[in-house]
Amino acid sequence: MNRANADNGYRFGSLPKNAPLAMAYVPLQESVSPSYESMEALSRGTLFPGLDLPLMNMVNSELKMCPLTEMMAIDFVADELELYLDTHNDDSEAFAMYQTFLALKKEVRSRYTKQFGPISQDDLLGAKRYSWPDDPWPWEYQPKMEV
Amino acid sequence: MFVYEKKLQYPVKIKNPNPALAKFIISQYGGPDGELGASLRYLSQRYSMPYPELKALLTDIGTEELGHLEMIGTLVHQLTRNMTPEEIKKAGFETYFVDRTAGVYPTAASGFPWSAASMAVKGDVIADLNEDLAADATIL
Repeated sequence: MNRANADNGYRFGSLPKNAPLAMAYVPLQESVSPSYESMEALSRGTLFPGLDLPLMNMVNSELKMCPLTEMMAIDFVADELELYLDTHNDDSEAFAMYQTFLALKKEVRSRYTKQFGPISQDDLLGAKRYSWPDDPWPWEYQPKMEV
Repeated sequence: MFVYEKKLQYPVKIKNPNPALAKFIISQYGGPDGELGASLRYLSQRYSMPYPELKALLTDIGTEELGHLEMIGTLVHQLTRNMTPEEIKKAGFETYFVDRTAGVYPTAASGFPWSAASMAVKGDVIADLNEDLAADATIL
């Protein structure tokens, strides 16, 4: 093996076709039915009943739709699309879906911060006062969490 | 750099504190396969990663793991709210409580403090991705 082949293009910063980084065994997962509808999936933590294996049978209570839930749901989809696009950035269908969710995210986020306060300090642009330190912080127990 | 978002990735609302459960959950915070190790593993492996796709993936996953760390910290915090001395003793939480009270300390369930010895950063693509598979098979 000559030197040029020995490193499989390692230094060129792109994934060569002949150099699998790892071999993994992944059981075939059915991508269609049965699957949860989206709100139930968000609450269960998976779309697929076959992957729904809660520890000691402890499960989330049903999520209620509220501005915070709506924002988390959209962020969740955007985050997952980002991870997919990191390794598939030529998938135009996925990128179009990502664009849709970025627009939705901006809209929902701006509605949320107007009502409940800043999520990041950038949201304070034009605010009446510096409300960043205001309670509650995200880790604090709130008996009534309807935000 | 990193910018904080004042929200959890997923809501945490625990009505009934349960220090006995917190004793186990804390390992996901600061144990050998916990979220602190996961985030530092991915964020540290980035520097020697030659491929743009995987630089992006390690950055995004490492960042998301920090969000998971915050959720687990929140779980431990809410599970150990308003404990009475009797509840602490009954739950077997006193060995933690004597050192940390209700603080959320990055430790394994065994009491061993979080250690970088539980992760590997080798500067080699195959070695690092194998480490990731072993630690957190969902990366691939």
